Amino acid sequence: MSQQKRNDSDRVVLKVDNLRIHYATPQGNVIAVSDISFNLYEGETLGLVGESGCGKSTTAYGILQLVQPPGYIVHGSIEVDGTEVLNLGEEELRKFRWTGLSLIPQGAMNSLNPTMRVKDQIIDVIEAHEGKKRDKEAMRERIFELFQNVGLPNRIYNMYPHELSGGMKQRVCIAMGVALHPTVVIADEATSALDVVVQRIVAQTLIKVKDEIGVSLIVIGHDMGLLAQIVDRIAVMYAGKMVEIAPVENVYANPLHPYTQLLIDSIPSIKERKPLKITEGITHDPRNPPSGCIFRLRCPFAWDHCAEVEPPPINVEEKHVVACHLFDEQFEERRAHAYATTANP
Amino acid sequence: MPQPHLPFQTFKITTFNNFSFSCGEPVILKLIDIASDYGIEKGIGMGGISLNYLVRRLLVFFLTLWVAATLIFIIPRLAPGDPISAMVARLSYQAGFVENSGAIIEAWKERFGLNDPVYVQYFRYIGGILQGDLGYSLARFPATVTELVGRALPWTIGLVGIATFIFFTVGNLCGALLAWNRTPRLFKVLIPMSMMFTSIPPLLAGLLLSYTFAFLLGWFPQTYSYGFGMTPGLTLDFIANVIHHGTLPAMAIVLVTFGYWALGMRGMMVTIEGEDYMILAQAKGLKPFYVLYRYMIRNAILPQMTALAVSIGTLVNGVVLVEVIFNYNGMGTLIVTALREQDFGLIQGTSFILITTSALAVLIIDLSYPLIDPRISLEGR
Repeated sequence: MSQQKRNDSDRVVLKVDNLRIHYATPQGNVIAVSDISFNLYEGETLGLVGESGCGKSTTAYGILQLVQPPGYIVHGSIEVDGTEVLNLGEEELRKFRWTGLSLIPQGAMNSLNPTMRVKDQIIDVIEAHEGKKRDKEAMRERIFELFQNVGLPNRIYNMYPHELSGGMKQRVCIAMGVALHPTVVIADEATSALDVVVQRIVAQTLIKVKDEIGVSLIVIGHDMGLLAQIVDRIAVMYAGKMVEIAPVENVYANPLHPYTQLLIDSIPSIKERKPLKITEGITHDPRNPPSGCIFRLRCPFAWDHCAEVEPPPINVEEKHVVACHLFDEQFEERRAHAYATTANP
Repeated sequence: MPQPHLPFQTFKITTFNNFSFSCGEPVILKLIDIASDYGIEKGIGMGGISLNYLVRRLLVFFLTLWVAATLIFIIPRLAPGDPISAMVARLSYQAGFVENSGAIIEAWKERFGLNDPVYVQYFRYIGGILQGDLGYSLARFPATVTELVGRALPWTIGLVGIATFIFFTVGNLCGALLAWNRTPRLFKVLIPMSMMFTSIPPLLAGLLLSYTFAFLLGWFPQTYSYGFGMTPGLTLDFIANVIHHGTLPAMAIVLVTFGYWALGMRGMMVTIEGEDYMILAQAKGLKPFYVLYRYMIRNAILPQMTALAVSIGTLVNGVVLVEVIFNYNGMGTLIVTALREQDFGLIQGTSFILITTSALAVLIIDLSYPLIDPRISLEGR
């Protein structure tokens, strides 16, 4: 998959602006997603990474309008192809779902209804949006075509989910996700529960289908190695904030944000054993985040300014944004000094 | 392949047809025939019943009946005295004096075969059951038990069947609506209020209904399963009359049971709401009502079916009392009459038939389980 071509389209299909999501708890609101903004371009694959609990799944569910109570969207704007999702009425939202935004769920193992045949679960979403279909034969052909896209055999058409393997269920979810050719597909850790071989196959299937159908894709995951193989850009989240969005080559070759650096550094290597550096420093209480930069408590380069001012997103180059004071032009010297001291900038 | 001779095919059985059972090869062959008639093939795996399982399950069913029949045979014989002497004693008590009572007792004992060794009596008894002959009612001689039961059983099956259908449907629907997040608030207040009857016994519910709707308001008849002077038959008049008479007894059963099912269903629905496939169903933009019945109720109903099979025995107990209150001419009333008249033959017969029908109901629910839950396949292991 190294022949990955950069996506060059400049048309924004999904524009997330200032999105904030809280979980209400008796001890106060947990800030799961804190004022994040990003763009997804047409035909692009965006990887969303971060530690567990950093808010990547919540971001996805926020975009899909699926935040479950006690979570709620505080403010923000989500535009898909010019449609403001947050302003849709109940029935409009129902119709918009799956045609505008579709989901490839986290636990494919349990995401299919155990008492419905695979075909019925695909047919029901088609009929919910396109009306009752009289022509059963055409429907069959259409589903077989979807199966073929994701590499599923036709014989599973009449099977129940428990008769399929984990990889097959995941493919069914992918086939289902692209059935209506949505504008944006969100794959929420779609490969987490699978072994590495099946993971790779499923990930490749995902990209193949995406290219064939021409949708834009957000892939959420914590497997940086796998993401490096399939995405165009990577968005790194930390404690509900988006700290860096960069083209995938830049992230691995030249990570800018200190957190991104630590994250890349923590990828396990088969060749050598190395200690984990990222545990240094303390994590904050998500109900009561620190002032200024969210990462300053764990950041090796933090100084007074970080505690006073929240770093704004800085455009370092096209489609590459980083939220760190080091990349502010007035702190150029400090950056040069900081990066000289690290062994692996 | 020539059909083997099946001796039991010659039996003519009217009240219950599951006794066309003899042992050995012919039965198995017959079962295979029945099974293939219903399209059950050998070795069906997914979502079906394998023939092997079907045969084993039926054997267990017949074993249950055999054990029941044997216990019913043994228990009365452990008590001192015998039914003939007791009956003659009762006659002489009523008439003041019975001539030649000793001779009568002897003659009747001979007539009913009570002088034979126990094992001969036992085999005669089992043989009788296999042919649908449950012996004579002692109190209403020469009426046979089969005759009396045949008259009462359809009423009880009708009453219990309809009541079960109503409380299972209404109960589960109420439970589902209690848990559904789109149910109007009014329902969520009204349903729990209507469940207060759940904690009172069916006996009291029956009395309460009888007093209110039959005695005070006079909307429904107080007793019996159809009006005096009606000729039983499939006429609209008669059916309407039966429904009119059956409403209160059925309501008495429904009132005290449906709340239990509603609570169970509500719990299951809450569990289902947390499942991953519910989030996907929401993301898919399916219509809410479709999600309710195809994703939620469809999955939540499965454990309820199991619970139904388990509770059938208890249900029958409640029905006996309700029938007595409404003097409904079903099995419950028949049993109580038999007990009151010390009619041993009838007590044995009615007990046996009640056990048989309960076992049959459980068997049917058991066998239908793979049809409603595709994950369960009843395969012989």
